[in-house]
Amino acid sequence: MIGRAASKEVGTGAKRRRPALAPMVLAALVAAVFIIPTVIDNPFVYHVFITICIFAGLSTAWNLVGGYAGQLSLGHMMFYGIGAYAGVILMNTGVSPWIGMLVGAAVAVVVAVIVSYPCFILRGPFFALATIALLEVFRVLALHFRDVTGGATGLMIQLRLGWEWMVFRDRLPALVIAFGLMLVCLFVGWLIRSRRLGFYLVATRERESAARAAGVPTVRVRLVAVAASAALTAMIGTYHAMYLTFIEPGAVFSLTMSIQIAMFALIGGIGTVFGPFLGALLLVPLTELVRGWLGAQALGLHGFVYGTVLVLAALFMPDGIMGLVARFKGTEGRPDDSTAPQAEAIAAEPRQPADTTEPTPQPATGAEIMRVDGLSKSFGGLRVIEHASFTLREGEILGLIGPNGAGKTTLFNMISGFMEPDQGDVAVRDRAGDWVRPKSPMEYAALGIGRTFQIVQPFAAMTVEENIMVGAFHRHGHVGDARAVARETAHKMGLGPYLDAEARGLTIGGLKRLEVARVMAMEPRVLLLDEVMAGINQTDVRRAIDLMLSIRDGGVSIIAIEHVMQAVMSLSDRVIVLNSGHIITEGPPREVVQDPEVIEAYLGKEFAHA
Amino acid sequence: MDTFLQVLVNGIMLGGLFTIVAIGLTLIFGIVKVINFAHGEFLMVGMYLAYLLTVGLGVHPYVTVVALAPALFVLGALAQRFIIQPLLAARDEHVQIFATVGLSTALINLALMVFGADIVNTPSSGLRTPLEIGPVRVLIGQICILVTAVVAVIGLQLFLGRTNTGRAIRAVAQNRTAAQLMGINANRMHILTFGIGTACVGVAAALVAPLYPTSPNIGTYFVLTAFVVVVLGGLGSIPGALLGAMVIGVVDAMSGFYIGSDLREAVVFGMFLVILILRPSGLLGSRSTLSHVSP
Repeated sequence: MIGRAASKEVGTGAKRRRPALAPMVLAALVAAVFIIPTVIDNPFVYHVFITICIFAGLSTAWNLVGGYAGQLSLGHMMFYGIGAYAGVILMNTGVSPWIGMLVGAAVAVVVAVIVSYPCFILRGPFFALATIALLEVFRVLALHFRDVTGGATGLMIQLRLGWEWMVFRDRLPALVIAFGLMLVCLFVGWLIRSRRLGFYLVATRERESAARAAGVPTVRVRLVAVAASAALTAMIGTYHAMYLTFIEPGAVFSLTMSIQIAMFALIGGIGTVFGPFLGALLLVPLTELVRGWLGAQALGLHGFVYGTVLVLAALFMPDGIMGLVARFKGTEGRPDDSTAPQAEAIAAEPRQPADTTEPTPQPATGAEIMRVDGLSKSFGGLRVIEHASFTLREGEILGLIGPNGAGKTTLFNMISGFMEPDQGDVAVRDRAGDWVRPKSPMEYAALGIGRTFQIVQPFAAMTVEENIMVGAFHRHGHVGDARAVARETAHKMGLGPYLDAEARGLTIGGLKRLEVARVMAMEPRVLLLDEVMAGINQTDVRRAIDLMLSIRDGGVSIIAIEHVMQAVMSLSDRVIVLNSGHIITEGPPREVVQDPEVIEAYLGKEFAHA
Repeated sequence: MDTFLQVLVNGIMLGGLFTIVAIGLTLIFGIVKVINFAHGEFLMVGMYLAYLLTVGLGVHPYVTVVALAPALFVLGALAQRFIIQPLLAARDEHVQIFATVGLSTALINLALMVFGADIVNTPSSGLRTPLEIGPVRVLIGQICILVTAVVAVIGLQLFLGRTNTGRAIRAVAQNRTAAQLMGINANRMHILTFGIGTACVGVAAALVAPLYPTSPNIGTYFVLTAFVVVVLGGLGSIPGALLGAMVIGVVDAMSGFYIGSDLREAVVFGMFLVILILRPSGLLGSRSTLSHVSP
């Protein structure tokens, strides 16, 4: 759900059929946050709009982690608290909060990286629980070390006025700083979202393993997001402490406030650049007004409203305001691509109708590019792969066949870095000609080894174009270049008509092609294809065969796991047969299928002797 | 030595309390696969109800359980039917978190509006009387909680293991689609499970109310600890909840006494983080309960 609105956001970069109305409205809204209070010039109005800036900034910063990276933090106020305490403590020793702000941000970044790194293995509610627990630990520690923090009595700032101290009698300068901080947050949010980093974050959120296969440094991109988010949150924390002039552990390390900033993002549209801003713009004035009107007699009322709104928003508009806008636009202007007829117009032009029934296997004359030596893997007592050794040459198509459960996918996982072999090793010749032993999916990707997954793993919430771009980023760092490569690849793969469709709307055949397109966009030297032809119709099989031959002719080596015998026979230069974890035979396709041992493995003993 | 024994016994008593709060949570997590962030607030609601009934009708606090368990069952069933069930198919589990967090926030503030921020005390009716057993002193109410907790753990285990309804519930947990093909109404089983889980909280509320002051925020304290217990014991494991609660109870009591009562929470939550990261399957959890960790 997060991604639906998010992907529309990326789409604006292309500006295909989109009028530029939305950006103008957003810009006007942002400007209004500054202009309205200066025009009205009333202390309460100033206060409301400063609070909007603070919360919009906090929520936008939260969104880098909670939205883009999809790590639902409910303890984000720990960074705010760090910034607040750093600012106040330093100010009381005579250091300007401008410096305190930077110190707080630095500390927050260090804390964020240390605590997030181990927590990234936790998913969904457990990441949220871990962040809540961390927030509680910080609050308890702030209460305990009262020499530094003042404990439960809190800390009051020494009143020094002026720009140097961020404290003013007038409201206007306070608004200027708050507004500036909000703009910084929005700018960082926009910058990350429109660069490679943003694509990588969303890809990691949607499908971690596929992202790793595409060479995305999944841990590093998330750490960058967390660090940026923590730094911004801490900076706002410092400023807000100066604005409030008083802090205490319960108020700054607050779970309620952590939930609130997440809620603003949800209401506005999680994962979108401007969603959190819209959420804060809508809800902050409401609650401040309610508080202003009803005062203390309505204790708990605004919290009750918040909670109810949160439940209703989760139930009825999980994509937030931005999602509603996108849906409205979808029905108005552009045709809904995901419901467009799927099956037709698939491959661009099938190549010269190669006679696929009469294979002409090319002799593999290229140099060796991959050496697999004595790979073994056991799961518990089950030996899945035993001493598998083979080599792959440049420009060769190697078919990997074998009955179900023979260990084909396990072998693939080991030669793409997803699984560590118990024994043996894999060596790959790099572009310079040296043999190296990659370990992680990222290192494999860096060497130009791309893989597909048997069970397709699209980045569901991204469009087809964006899916392929994630692969293209591997070689092309700039969004424009990556987009061009992605388009070209999409057309080659017959996905041209679906560029703007969300991946989740594709048929299974389309998803399989998308899977291959994403890898192709990485411009790999070795392609590992895991049953790309299973479950697609006869015409598509022919197209896929033509496609693979054209890829091979482009100098790429391919290892293909395949059950579709027609494809194996017409494609492979060489076939390896795997049975119960052993390579039982290896050779040209026609010889292999006549091998009695192979017939026995596939069809049983009776057939072998028949 | 006597002090140590006393602290240990305090810890075990605390463990009984944590058990009874945590079993509902772990049951709901194990079957419906949802983390109910509002679990503690159900306890809080139950405690206020216990207070109102005890004061209003002048009955013994334990008598209120006949009203509390059904009332909380209904509350839980409604929450499952109208909030969780529509979100189970959601593409992203974040919405479920938001929904239960929202429910929790709404309930806390509702209590704040109705009862104010001040604590209320349910009459203890003699349950606060200390009992001298050898060198240690325990409250009668604490013993009742511990006994009930153990009985509830055994009862739930028998229910899930020996009855047809229990088997149906476990089948739904293991494979919802397959269970539906066998003619089990999965939605009804989820509602039933959620109801049973919150009914446990109703029982807990009747037992806890006479011993602890009730406030709108009481649930937050209990539920955070209950999460620690559930993760330590192994997600979805009911005996695990008992074991986890005992460990956390003793750690809580020991660190409160030997390290400092203000750092108790830091120790417990610190332990929680370490367990989550180092042994996410908990003490009695199996690999199948590792759905919260990336592969």
